[in-house]
Amino acid sequence: MLENTETVTRPKARASGETWRALAPAIAIALVGAAVIGIGPYVLDSYSLSVLTRSLLYAAVALTVDLLWGYMGILTFGQSAFFAAGAYAAGLIFSHVGFSPATAPLALVGGVVVALVLAGIVGWLAFWHGATNLYASVITLVLPIVCTQLIFSGGNFTGSSSGLSGFESFDLSMEAWFWLSGSFLTAITAMAWLLVNSDAGRVLVAIRENEQRCQYLGIDTPRVKTLIFLLCAVIGAIAGYIFAGYAMVVSPELAGFVFGTELVIWTALGGRATLIGPVLGTLLVDYESAQLSGDYPFVWKLIIGSAFVLVIVAFPRGLLPLVSGAASRIGRHVLPGGTGERAVSVPRLLALPVSDAQGTEAGSGPALKVSGVRKSFGSLTVLDGIDFRAHAGELVSLVGPNGAGKTTLMRCIADGTERTSGEVVVNGHDLGRATPERCVALGVGRKFQTANVFDTLTVAECLRLARSRHERPSLWRRRDVLHLPEASLHVVRVTGLASRLGEEARLLSHGLKQALELAMVLALEPRVVLLDEPTAGLTKAERTQIGSILTDIVRTRGLCVLLVEHDLGFVREISSRVIVLHQGRILLDGSVDDVVSSELVASVYTGAVNLEHTA
Amino acid sequence: MVAQFLDIITTAAFLYVVSSGLLLVFGVMKIINFAHGAMLTLGGYAALLCTKAGLNPWLGLPLAALIGGLAGILVERLAVRPLYARPLDAILATWGLGIVIGQLITLYFGRGVQFAEAPLTGTVNVLGESYSIYRLSVVAVAAALGGVLTLILRGTRLGLETRAVIMNEDLARGLGINSRLVRFLTFTLGSALAGIAGMLITPISSIDPNMGVPWLVNAFMLVLVSGHSLTTLVVSCLVLGGAQVLVSAYVNPILGGLTIAVLAAIILRIRPEGFARA
Amino acid sequence: MRRIPVLLASAAFLVGAVHIGHAADDIVIGVPVGLSGANSVVAPSVVQAAELAVDEVNAAGGVLGRKLRLEVADDGSGAAGAQKAYDALIFQKKVDALISMETSAARNAGLPIVSRGKVPFIYTSFYEGRSCNKYMYINAWVPDQQVAPMVDFFMKEKGAKTFFLIGSDYAFGRGMLEFTRAYVEKAGGKVLGEEYNPMDATDWTAVISKVRATNPDALLISTAGGAPNVTLTKQLRTAGITAHYGNLGLDEGTAKSMGADAQGTYLAGSYYTSLDTDANKKFLAAMKQKFGDKLETPNDLSAPEYEAVHAYAKALAKAGTTQTDKVIEALATVSVEGPRGTIIMNKQRHAPLTMYLGQVQPDGSVKIMSEFKNVDPGPQCPNLG
Repeated sequence: MLENTETVTRPKARASGETWRALAPAIAIALVGAAVIGIGPYVLDSYSLSVLTRSLLYAAVALTVDLLWGYMGILTFGQSAFFAAGAYAAGLIFSHVGFSPATAPLALVGGVVVALVLAGIVGWLAFWHGATNLYASVITLVLPIVCTQLIFSGGNFTGSSSGLSGFESFDLSMEAWFWLSGSFLTAITAMAWLLVNSDAGRVLVAIRENEQRCQYLGIDTPRVKTLIFLLCAVIGAIAGYIFAGYAMVVSPELAGFVFGTELVIWTALGGRATLIGPVLGTLLVDYESAQLSGDYPFVWKLIIGSAFVLVIVAFPRGLLPLVSGAASRIGRHVLPGGTGERAVSVPRLLALPVSDAQGTEAGSGPALKVSGVRKSFGSLTVLDGIDFRAHAGELVSLVGPNGAGKTTLMRCIADGTERTSGEVVVNGHDLGRATPERCVALGVGRKFQTANVFDTLTVAECLRLARSRHERPSLWRRRDVLHLPEASLHVVRVTGLASRLGEEARLLSHGLKQALELAMVLALEPRVVLLDEPTAGLTKAERTQIGSILTDIVRTRGLCVLLVEHDLGFVREISSRVIVLHQGRILLDGSVDDVVSSELVASVYTGAVNLEHTA
Repeated sequence: MVAQFLDIITTAAFLYVVSSGLLLVFGVMKIINFAHGAMLTLGGYAALLCTKAGLNPWLGLPLAALIGGLAGILVERLAVRPLYARPLDAILATWGLGIVIGQLITLYFGRGVQFAEAPLTGTVNVLGESYSIYRLSVVAVAAALGGVLTLILRGTRLGLETRAVIMNEDLARGLGINSRLVRFLTFTLGSALAGIAGMLITPISSIDPNMGVPWLVNAFMLVLVSGHSLTTLVVSCLVLGGAQVLVSAYVNPILGGLTIAVLAAIILRIRPEGFARA
Repeated sequence: MRRIPVLLASAAFLVGAVHIGHAADDIVIGVPVGLSGANSVVAPSVVQAAELAVDEVNAAGGVLGRKLRLEVADDGSGAAGAQKAYDALIFQKKVDALISMETSAARNAGLPIVSRGKVPFIYTSFYEGRSCNKYMYINAWVPDQQVAPMVDFFMKEKGAKTFFLIGSDYAFGRGMLEFTRAYVEKAGGKVLGEEYNPMDATDWTAVISKVRATNPDALLISTAGGAPNVTLTKQLRTAGITAHYGNLGLDEGTAKSMGADAQGTYLAGSYYTSLDTDANKKFLAAMKQKFGDKLETPNDLSAPEYEAVHAYAKALAKAGTTQTDKVIEALATVSVEGPRGTIIMNKQRHAPLTMYLGQVQPDGSVKIMSEFKNVDPGPQCPNLG
């Protein structure tokens, strides 16, 4: 359905083309969903109808697991808690206050608010700079346990182990509940589809693929994660609210860890990061559970457990991609959405108009001022009192033998949380303890030692991510145009990346990956660029090309570049100044000629000098 | 207050026994074994087998270790080793195998709740309070287990290699340590410990196919705040287990059940290394 | 997306293939029961009692010219499981009636589904009282019938003045103890503490600490039947608590499974295997004959189940149809001669019962200490006459 992969777009038709391309699959989902849901009550018996009404709501929650885990890489066991928040809000208010046209919306709002508060707390606990995915998962595991215990401790108010029942609710027919649940699921699925296939959706995948790179592109990943988590909490709460209205019983199991893990199982079986997979997985497994578990309770769970292990170990992408893959091999229509089959439209590259350039304004004084920077791991001191300044238009090379602390110094400049002590000022802004994304906002761009790009994203998507700080990615469509600042555009054009915009980054040569990362860093419009061995592993020709690009951007754009480099020949060709680092201290800071002619430096490189005696 | 003090000590002992196996696995493999709950359950059923066969309940200890260890070997081969590069998936796969083990138990033993004979019954007088002999004996067992584990880690070549892998697996491999073997043995040992723990908790719990699950989350949290050290785990068990006993006694037992998880989560947020030394 | 209907169709096919129905004209009785979870200790004996009753009715030629058949479903002893079990029994298996013992959590969760499915439901477990539904009858005791004998005994015979109440935190536990507290206080006793643990909790350390700290004369326990009873009793014993121990939720079979730990426990109920009546002896002999080695000890939950199946059969015969309204009407009038004596559910959907106070003996049997004839259930469902 996304066959529209043409690269040339007529400018006037562009806007409607973008809109149509984004909306078409979502509309298709909505139409198919509406048709299936509409027909349901006419072909299903009442038991299936009642079971499926529940399954449809569960599927909406499974969808949130897919958004968080499948797309963003946060394995969550706690979505049941949000479902329970919505359900219990209804149960509590309808039981203790009563059901009326006034209390019904109140309960919905209450459930959503409670879910948001819970998600906010979890977000604060689980998503912060430096928190691991495992840690976040464990926090989501604690959530349902805590919620269940809180329900237990509520005595007669929450009904404790009994839950609440016997409250009044909306007087709807079975069919109406089915339609309501189905429409809700369809709407959520269509919206989620829009989101994950939009430019913003690429941010989610980027966080899953390489969170560190995202942070160094200035993306506040804890914030993005928390926002999506909040959104998913709202979806869960609404689903829970509908469930309570329909079932007229709420019980502590709804909040439980077992339900939370079941959601993960359904998502994994259906196929993570496919949206449709988890929905179908939930509907099928939950429906079949209801049909079969009465007669074969143990064997059925055994089968599900075994299938789950098999899928995780052997088919991590789940069953939907397997099914649709097999289907496409025998020449049938392919479901859109398997991550591999993502149809790609290639945007047009445009130079960012100079008036729109939003790089941090040049402050007074040096572009980069490093004073007294220290870094130690326990008793081991890696950097010991580093002081230097660098100005706009300078290309400063950082050299020194292995273990001198070059990369550590880069890290200490680009991430305030890394420094043990000392101060880094960029354009007059003290970076303080700022996280990498804050440092980016203050004008620091960092390129890693080994090419660090998003393997499964296309070149164009990687570049757009680098621009996301300046140009907020659309939440529902793919833009046809990609604006890059001149420096970045220059790299893309000169290296030939421009003709490979639609290719996944993992397919690029090593040299092109390095170039892509450089272009991404430059797209941030930094004032200070930190480059850690940008030419490592490149051919001679590629190296020369990168060298001339660097000297060119330093000269014409007035950037300040700090470069870690081993190849002294290359350093001599491009540097305006050289700093020699040895055993965590600055040994020499001078012109290229000073350094090259220094006997001290020569002896450092041959290992004859111990700094303790010379300093 | 003597009774409360003893409650704290014995609760900490139970927690230590339940989480020490998990900690070993976490230290070496950097993953959390979600099948740990199922291994506890297997240990519980080992105790049940002893009761049914009319054997001395203490024989359940080696039997539980054996069954837990065997299950550990299976889980390691089927789920953990193939997923070395995908730690979150490895966690999920261990959870899946936990479900499979639980269902196999259910198929064989039935889903009902059963009970095993306690190895020790009755009370003993401690400073004027009569207190359960069994609970006190678990303190001794926990201390013995901790001692044996420390001896293994400090005193044997395998222990040395294990500690090397815990500190830096790549470096250890570079030094010629068979880290694969270390992982395998650790997982087996950790699972055997889980089996023992499952057997030991049967007198204060019931035996059913899900008996391990309630212990699981507390064990996770204790391991996360303890890092990789068995000594730190003792501290965590005493502090958090103590908090649980006090909250249960002075607030209410249900909130007491939450104490460990909530405190641990907050501790980790404020101090990511938990109780471990920085 | 075209695949959705295909998947649904194949799912439907799978289901159809699996459920090859039984004889279509059987009268089907649904038994949602806690085969797993807290009630799993007592549930098997309930199912056996129902099976015996069904066999007896069928052996006598069935009812309305049709055979009775059971459909058993596990409700996991809780609300969530009950929802699924009731849904499946009523809408998938299309049972004609439900007759079962369950936790109050499961019953409350199932009742809205019963109302939606409009089937007669006989609840056969003692419970906290005052649960009323147009389709429901109850033939077991409520607090009004049970608490008085035990509290009176402790206060008058044993001189107990202070009490500590412990329960599972759900409708039964709370309802029962609420009634008990009021009764104790009215009788001049003092309640030193009232503590609850979740239904599935197995660790009672904190509660026992409080008991130890307050040192009451007597303990009154109202946990979910089965597992919580056993764990609490065992832990009380290992903690060396020696107060008089009255258990409102303990049945005979569970007491037996605890061995020496249960010795001396006081029970109050409407049925014990040691009842010296012909009807009870006949019932026990028939159970023994039918199940042999597999027999689960009959108890205060299984005897009412047995009687309820017979009551339903009689009501069917009287109504001449399985039609719900008619059967509901008839259920209030039929009387059954069962192991517990003559049972008629004619008091606001509940039944007057003969109650007994018993004590567990070293061999696990229950010795009946005193008998209370035809205790009235009191006003339970005034609106359902």
